Amino acid sequence: MTPGMHRVAITGMGCISALGHDADSHWQACRDGRSGIDTIRQIDPERLIIKVCAEVKDFDPASHFPDRQLHLLDRVSQFAVYAARQALADSGLEMGPELVRRTAVILGTGAGGMNTLDSQFWRLYGEGNRRVMPLTVPRLMISAAASHVTMDAKIMGPAFMISSACSSANHAIGEAFWMIRTGRVRAAVTGGTEACLTYGTIRGWEALRVMTHDVCRPFSLKRRGMVLGEGAGMFVLERLEDARARGAKIYGELAGMGMSADAGDIVFPSEEGAAAAITGALEDAGLAPEEVDYINAHGTGTAANDVTETRAIRRALGAVAERVPVSSTKAVHGHALGGAGALELVAAVKTIADQVIPPTANYLDPDPDCDLDYVPNRARPAAVRTVLSNSFAFGGLNAVLAVRAVE
Amino acid sequence: MTDIEDKIMAIVAQETRRDRASLSLDTELSEIESLDLVQIIFAIEDEFDVYVPQEDETFKLDNLRDVVDGVKLLLAEKQDQSAESA
Repeated sequence: MTPGMHRVAITGMGCISALGHDADSHWQACRDGRSGIDTIRQIDPERLIIKVCAEVKDFDPASHFPDRQLHLLDRVSQFAVYAARQALADSGLEMGPELVRRTAVILGTGAGGMNTLDSQFWRLYGEGNRRVMPLTVPRLMISAAASHVTMDAKIMGPAFMISSACSSANHAIGEAFWMIRTGRVRAAVTGGTEACLTYGTIRGWEALRVMTHDVCRPFSLKRRGMVLGEGAGMFVLERLEDARARGAKIYGELAGMGMSADAGDIVFPSEEGAAAAITGALEDAGLAPEEVDYINAHGTGTAANDVTETRAIRRALGAVAERVPVSSTKAVHGHALGGAGALELVAAVKTIADQVIPPTANYLDPDPDCDLDYVPNRARPAAVRTVLSNSFAFGGLNAVLAVRAVE
Repeated sequence: MTDIEDKIMAIVAQETRRDRASLSLDTELSEIESLDLVQIIFAIEDEFDVYVPQEDETFKLDNLRDVVDGVKLLLAEKQDQSAESA
């Protein structure tokens, strides 16, 4: 390790998704291939062509936030604060007056406060009302979730949000990781959040014709597309030496992050760009391709992603790709866009903790163009020390995280 | 207590989460948080279908009495306008 650099431990996790309201239930459903995808509840499905989504169910914000706080929180911020509280509690980190100033809050989101935007613009354009609620702007601003996490946890270090569509969470987690590694902060709350299952947003996705009507089947020949999801995953990162000194439970080491831009198409992914991000993560972590035990794929279940990602993994790993298990947990938790990388990092970290690789659920039939080991339908016990977690966004913004076990 | 006064007190109590009995016409607006104030203005506009002007010299609002008087003024103006247009 370069002098002045620090290894970075993951010491806390929190999660809310279609699979449950905490990291354990999220993980157990990923592991068991139990889908959280169902007919949408937030909107009358009769108004939609695509009626399924991976929705957070039975979440009662009023039982987690006092009125005073709740009226400031769009759903996207509710998820972020709720998951961040879990991650902080899980880490057992004591936030003293010195540490609060040296802790960062760096979150990712793709869309921000879309529920607020949708409902308030409906007043204007739908109802013909001339006014929107006074809290419209502070609720929908894309950085609101990070602000609310700082206020809720009284964290006063660097705080901001990163937006790169479906890679937002990975870019945010990677940035937090680098800030700790280079000594700019001692700890961070980081992750991703998304809550954009609104009428307007879903209609937009419908128009792109990349969503399936029923089941998400990543890497299968009969895959029909992705399923929109929502939720948040949050992590506490800190210097490994600090975590050890305080006797913290350490889930693993965030070891590397690779980024690239396709500089190609606004929706169609590039093999070269995705491969560059995977290679970048390996190099950043000082890992050889042979050391990769599992890849949590971006695996959206669209025609374009799954083939391109398969080729990118082959390009980056070479012959080793033949034997590396790759699975997409999006089959069960949907595509939570700016939150996706965080929901998947929870699964990736738990893979190391439990030594079980989660399956690609709903896998039906092999696609000759998707020819890796996708761990179809059944979890697989395995010795897993090192995992990669891929995120490849619309617009060609790629971010890959590398996590390894700590002895 | 007039009907207008009654409605305004109800709005202020709701938006500030305060007991109605703790409010009076003499309650100073400086006691109310700024975010609550914008919510109160919004609710008043909704309730009375008026527009509360910004930076208007005729609106010197220090306490709830000023708010009640201001709303009465706005309602009177509205009545005049609808009489003119009728």
